[in-house]
Amino acid sequence: MRGVPAVMEASLSQFRYTLHRLTDRQVLLLRVGIAVVLLLGVGAPLAGAYKVWPFVVAGVADGSVYGLAALGLVLTYKTSGMFNLAIGAQAAASAYVFYSLRIVVGLPWPIAAVLCLIGVGLGGALIFERLALWLSDAAPVFRVVTTIGLMVFLQSLLSAAYGPATLTMPAFLPTSIVRIGGVNVSVGQIIIVALGILATATLYLFFRRTRLGVSMQAVVEDPSLLALQATNPDVVRRYAWSIGSCFVSVSGMLVAPAFGVDVNHMLLVFIAAFGAAALASFTSLAGAFTAALAIGIAVNVVSYELSSSANVVVNSFYTQIPFLVLVLALGLLPKRRLAERGAARVRRFKPVRTFPRELVITTSVIAIAAAVAIPYVVTSADIDQYTEAAGFFIILASMGLLLWTSGQISLCHMAFAAVGAVTLGHAEAAGLPWLLGVALAALVALPVGALVAIPSFRLSGTFLAVITFGVGLLFQNLLYTTFLMFGSLGSIDVGRPHVKLFGLDLNGDRGYYFVALVAAAGAALVVVMVRRSRLGRFSRALSDSPQALEAHGTDTRLTRPFVFCISAAMAAVGGAMVAGVTGSASSYQAGSFGYFTSLVIVAVLVFCGRLPLLSPLVAAVVLEVLKIYPPFDRTGYINYQGVIFGVLAIGAAVLPGIKISHLGRRAAQRTDPGRLSARLEFAMDGVAG
Amino acid sequence: MSAPSNANLVVTDLTVRFGGLTAVNRISLTAQAGTITGLLGPNGAGKTTTFNACTGAVAAAHGTISLGRTRLDRYSTARRATLGLGRTFQRMQLFDSMTVAENVAMGPESGFAARRPWGQLFEPRAERVQIVRRRNDAMGRCGISDLAGKIVGELSTGQRRLVELARAIASPFRFLLLDEPSSGLDVSETMHFGQILRDYVADTGVGILLVEHDMALVADVCSYIYVLDFGQLIFEGTTRETLASEIVRAAYLGSDAVEDAISSVRYERADAAEVERVV
Repeated sequence: MRGVPAVMEASLSQFRYTLHRLTDRQVLLLRVGIAVVLLLGVGAPLAGAYKVWPFVVAGVADGSVYGLAALGLVLTYKTSGMFNLAIGAQAAASAYVFYSLRIVVGLPWPIAAVLCLIGVGLGGALIFERLALWLSDAAPVFRVVTTIGLMVFLQSLLSAAYGPATLTMPAFLPTSIVRIGGVNVSVGQIIIVALGILATATLYLFFRRTRLGVSMQAVVEDPSLLALQATNPDVVRRYAWSIGSCFVSVSGMLVAPAFGVDVNHMLLVFIAAFGAAALASFTSLAGAFTAALAIGIAVNVVSYELSSSANVVVNSFYTQIPFLVLVLALGLLPKRRLAERGAARVRRFKPVRTFPRELVITTSVIAIAAAVAIPYVVTSADIDQYTEAAGFFIILASMGLLLWTSGQISLCHMAFAAVGAVTLGHAEAAGLPWLLGVALAALVALPVGALVAIPSFRLSGTFLAVITFGVGLLFQNLLYTTFLMFGSLGSIDVGRPHVKLFGLDLNGDRGYYFVALVAAAGAALVVVMVRRSRLGRFSRALSDSPQALEAHGTDTRLTRPFVFCISAAMAAVGGAMVAGVTGSASSYQAGSFGYFTSLVIVAVLVFCGRLPLLSPLVAAVVLEVLKIYPPFDRTGYINYQGVIFGVLAIGAAVLPGIKISHLGRRAAQRTDPGRLSARLEFAMDGVAG
Repeated sequence: MSAPSNANLVVTDLTVRFGGLTAVNRISLTAQAGTITGLLGPNGAGKTTTFNACTGAVAAAHGTISLGRTRLDRYSTARRATLGLGRTFQRMQLFDSMTVAENVAMGPESGFAARRPWGQLFEPRAERVQIVRRRNDAMGRCGISDLAGKIVGELSTGQRRLVELARAIASPFRFLLLDEPSSGLDVSETMHFGQILRDYVADTGVGILLVEHDMALVADVCSYIYVLDFGQLIFEGTTRETLASEIVRAAYLGSDAVEDAISSVRYERADAAEVERVV
């Protein structure tokens, strides 16, 4: 029997080796084969047995819409290296414009659709193409931040302009019914599916058979080399973005009658496209469309199967499928299939400016004195805003530690903050002292952070951002309403310390402000200590060159999770402080702990700079304090502040990449052939040996 | 960190495939401790792929890699480094946001941190003392002590090459793989580089496997040379035998004119050295 494990191991090894050797075409064929076997062998009998054919048909139609968006996503990622996290917001913009033209202006739908395609599809393409050009040699984190900025910008703009209510869009495709295989299918659904299949087939052939298609794939790896082959990389990029952006725009219009026109809802609906793209390793167009179909079918069939359950979590489980697919796909895909596009030509961060020690000490003393004086000079109504700023400083400092020290990005940081808030709430409810509750909040966040950080063993840059985005959504939609967190009411009481210190009641507004201030000072100390420690040096080195660090013996799989855990624990303490301001924490989407706040804090932090403590401080003031003083206290500013945050974040991300060489690149290329020859030689060196 | 015993690098029947392409085909080589061994070949011959396979950056389809009596091919890149196999990169891999001193110190610091699972979190004072000693020694050996406080991203190519070498020799490696270390250096910098390598090997007994296109440097420092072409070993021999080989000339050097070029480079270096001595 001793030989059996050895034989199994050898067989497994041989199997892995065989998989490793497969070409992309063989992998595609294998996937299609598996999909067909599953569909015919498992899907069909199950569907027949459980009478779910109508849901399968509806799923195919929904999946086709997701598929169009996924095609746009994969196409633009393949050609620009920029993963467009904002496709949901872009699709929503398309739906709103279509709604305005069709319902408000009263245009016939074909004309409204064409105008929408020109405005949102091609207009969006123009913007994205420019951004992609400026970000072509930027670190992945800046590309992610740009799309987050776009998402924040569009969501805030659309919410402010159209209001929070879901707008109803009447169906515009034919609704007449035909029967196929005993199931009623609308002509509109048939048109949508046909459109999706046609788009996939055309793009597939275009990439395989045409010179422009091949060029589109080459442009992200080295545009200069492409230029040497008499193909203008700018034109190639523009085509790719035009096609991709129009696909997203069309999917936004198609989805509107079924789901309503609501930007917050659409951001979530289009996560299915992310999941499909992830299943297709962000490269295979046919794979992305097939995966989108599968997700569409799964969502519809599961919704039918679980609709009879009395449990709300089980009943609405189908809404979590796209998020689960996204997280599982990124968590389980082989690392070699998740190579970051265009990562070979990354421009390094400029070192952070350092200031003279005397200046730092003097400024710190003045800042501390000002912070201590604040509750005595501002109105009592405003103290809470400053306290909340102190809480957000901790969260922002923890994000800065992650972002600028180890080069990781987390789009689920408010989930850690929520863990901290609810842990303190539960601890207080169990009768534990406040201070112990806060310590417990940090401790509980450590394993949660470790769990979320597991993907960072193998993922970084764009893919880590995408998976943490999915995790943030899963927390909000699956865990927030459970007894572990906010409970079915969606809200939990979080108290303040019931202690008097030097005559100051820490339960009062002024006293609690000082509590939060001390916590913020502690967080600042942690940031300084981590940056100066061995872990801080390893994190910075990892951010600069993981290959060099590994080549000297460092197991980089440990470095990232260590920083992630510390950052999560800090965010949890920050969350506990923020929740204490109002005395409760809630899971509502508009509340502080929603996934969207995670995006906003990244956007704000990025445009406030890369200084480890000053940038989070400025960001906290911008987020929480600015809005209580004129002219920022006006409703107009508060409604549209997300628009400003989005624009500033995009500006901060792309500004280092906008150079004279980019603006006058074509002229420079014409007049300086030597420069391109040098690039060619350099690139050949890269493949040599 | 106790002084490690130096060891030979032995590569046996190494094959590396990328899909259908065989980049390295059953090559075997032995690089002796205490000597500098050359690995030559034209672009695309498989030199860097061989290095990558030795360090575990790419998976070998077949073959073994041993350092002394230790089989390395079962381990990760980081583990191979802790077992004593170090390398530099063709496209330099430096920590650009850090200073020269911090870069060089990261070499031995990585080695210490790898000794314990929590080694990345805490830094015992005794380790710090050893790291500083190794760092200063390596910077002094490479002549970059005066650059210690400079940010590496702001240095010239020649200085960056020296920083990468200093980081490698500050680490407690038992064998070094150097991938085109003189690429981008001018003649006097290359001469200086060669001198550092010779002194380091003589002083420490560590072996070096050198991939290099600068034939004059190869001729100066290597005692034995392996030549690859299209992923296969086409020649091995002493430096003199290799440079005289018609096979090597046909595959790599291409024409008789190259011999003249090597000679002229030597004369130029001799002239440069003479000028430096006079100045």
